[in-house]
Amino acid sequence: MHNILLIAKREYLERIRTKAFIVATILIPTLMAGGIFGTAYIADKTKSNSHIAIVSSQQPLSTDLQNELEHGKDSQMVVDVVPPTPEIRSELDAKIREKSREKGIDGYLWITPSTSTDPAARPTFDYTARSAADIVTNTTITDALRVVLLREHLAHSGLQPASIATLMAPVEVNTIDVGGQRGSSRNSFYVAYVLFLLMYMVVLLYGMNVARSIIEEKNSRIFEVLLSTIRAEDILAGKIIGVGGVGITQVVVWILAAFIITASPLAAHIAGATAMATISATQGIFFIIYFALGYVLYSSVAAALGAMTNSEQELQQLNMFLMIPLFFCLMMLPVITSNPSSPLARLVSLIPFCTPLLMNFRVSLSMPQPWEIALSIVLMIATIYAVLWVASRIYRVGILMYGKKPNLPEILRWLKYS
Amino acid sequence: MPIVELQHVRKAYDTKIAVADLSFRIEPGSMFGLLGPNGSGKTSTIRMMIGITVPDSGTVTLFGQPFTRASLTRVGYLPEERGLYKKMKVMDQLIFLGQLHGLDATTASKRAHIWCEKMEITDAVLKKTEELSKGMQQKIQFIAALLHEPDLIIMDEPFSGLDPVNAVLLMDTLVDLRDQGRTILFSTHRMDQVEKLCDNICLIHNGHVVLSGAMREIKSRYPANRVALNFEGDASFLNHPSIESSKNYSGRAEIKLRDGADPQALLADAVTKARITRFEVMEPTLEEIFIEKVTAEYGEVNTGSKVDA
Repeated sequence: MHNILLIAKREYLERIRTKAFIVATILIPTLMAGGIFGTAYIADKTKSNSHIAIVSSQQPLSTDLQNELEHGKDSQMVVDVVPPTPEIRSELDAKIREKSREKGIDGYLWITPSTSTDPAARPTFDYTARSAADIVTNTTITDALRVVLLREHLAHSGLQPASIATLMAPVEVNTIDVGGQRGSSRNSFYVAYVLFLLMYMVVLLYGMNVARSIIEEKNSRIFEVLLSTIRAEDILAGKIIGVGGVGITQVVVWILAAFIITASPLAAHIAGATAMATISATQGIFFIIYFALGYVLYSSVAAALGAMTNSEQELQQLNMFLMIPLFFCLMMLPVITSNPSSPLARLVSLIPFCTPLLMNFRVSLSMPQPWEIALSIVLMIATIYAVLWVASRIYRVGILMYGKKPNLPEILRWLKYS
Repeated sequence: MPIVELQHVRKAYDTKIAVADLSFRIEPGSMFGLLGPNGSGKTSTIRMMIGITVPDSGTVTLFGQPFTRASLTRVGYLPEERGLYKKMKVMDQLIFLGQLHGLDATTASKRAHIWCEKMEITDAVLKKTEELSKGMQQKIQFIAALLHEPDLIIMDEPFSGLDPVNAVLLMDTLVDLRDQGRTILFSTHRMDQVEKLCDNICLIHNGHVVLSGAMREIKSRYPANRVALNFEGDASFLNHPSIESSKNYSGRAEIKLRDGADPQALLADAVTKARITRFEVMEPTLEEIFIEKVTAEYGEVNTGSKVDA
């Protein structure tokens, strides 16, 4: 035990001190915060604030449209309404070419009344823009026109303005979970998704780190010194604990950062409701449990892969053994998202290699039965034990083989060697 | 009681036999040379002695007891290739390796500082290992093997990568340790390097013992029929009838005499033809003995395909 801790301590301290660790630990929450606030900020900014002119003689259509564009839900434009005179077009064209933003305009909308006698016939709308790629302004104008025309049509049909306002108010859907608690489905989905990706990333990253550190020791031949005092099993266990400790440290820092970011008044202030995706205590606890189990499982597999290979390149050819289960989990996400308690979702979340990701995902979406959680943990521990047994045997023999790639019969023979 | 005793040890990897029926014993306080060309089974033998691998058959006895891992804290091992963590600082590394051998951190640190001073690498202790030269790293590896004051010191190719000055420093340190009563096992293919150091040797080739015993006794078995000769001028005396074979490196000749030939006669002939600046009659070197033995037993000296596992 003393030796396991020594190895673990060394792995942990050496890794925590690296610049890469510090950068990743600080950078990811920074990006996370930047992402959340940035999106909220950009969403705010993408409200079109262009300055356009409407050329129309039609009232009230042009003033309605002006009103909608200046004070509508998604737009904050500056709109001038001008009557169509013969020289106006060249005047507006000149304004479009104007370099200074204050004096110029971004475009003008020319409304030509319909010549048809049909009352339902619509006018023609021609929008001349400084930039044909200004999709936001274009879309905003289109949306505003639709609203204005609809409102006008409804008014023509004899509806009262109050009824029109009610009809056109946006609809909100509240999601209520099985426990009767009011929540937001978007919110729980985002949290689950973020946790899933976090776990996916960390398990893959630190699992591979175990493999890499074994290869590094193989190449530096340090293990010869280590093996001349301690047992291979101890080295393996120490490595998994040490590298895993680094992963857990990083994840804890990230989760704390997530708490602080989402709980800060600043977040609420800047982003409003958009940033309110918080992680509940239950989600946090299960995340840590499944993360630890998943990490041990995948890093044992990685340790075996590392012991079998001699270089990073060779490892890369074998790391599909780590990737395939993870990709499978990724593919199963839609199944679980649409119905977290379907038989298929229950089945795949009990496969030990998928449990850490999928069961955790289900926990975040809607709580599975307690027996499912218990069974999944038991199955995982049993699998971890089996994989560790195999990995330590491969490690013990594989680590002494260099230069030569083992084939399958050889690996099977290593398992018998005790 | 011998410190190490190997009895009929055998180890095979797949179809390749690395060590075939090897037996030897190392007495306490002696310097033992395990010699042989590349791929002769030296490293495989050492690995079985320290429990990295297990022999297929035969027994390994350490400190008078059958092999147990507990006795490994009394062994210091310097592997053939440098085995150090590249990114770790030298002092941290030494302390870590000391702790692995059962020392506490304070003792390890104290001893490491003393050793670094002795090995003249005090300036390097705060640097990362990868920033150091090969020779420096070899010295660190050397210290790491000695920190826990082992009774048995195993050195696999200790002088590789060292310049002559540092090689002498290492050699002197090892001689001191031997004089303090430690037992030292050398494994090397550079037979000339250990010739003057070792009390006993075991020469192996392709996993078989070629020659083993006390160095003095082995040497005395061979007559002093080698001549080293430095000269200026005519080299025709190299055709003298007493010479069996000779090599002439422009003014420095290495000569092997025929059995029973008198070196005096050769000297007399040489003096008349060339100006002699050196004339020395010697015993054959270990390397020459090895080549002679192997050629006699196996025909050609086959360096063999390298088994490094």
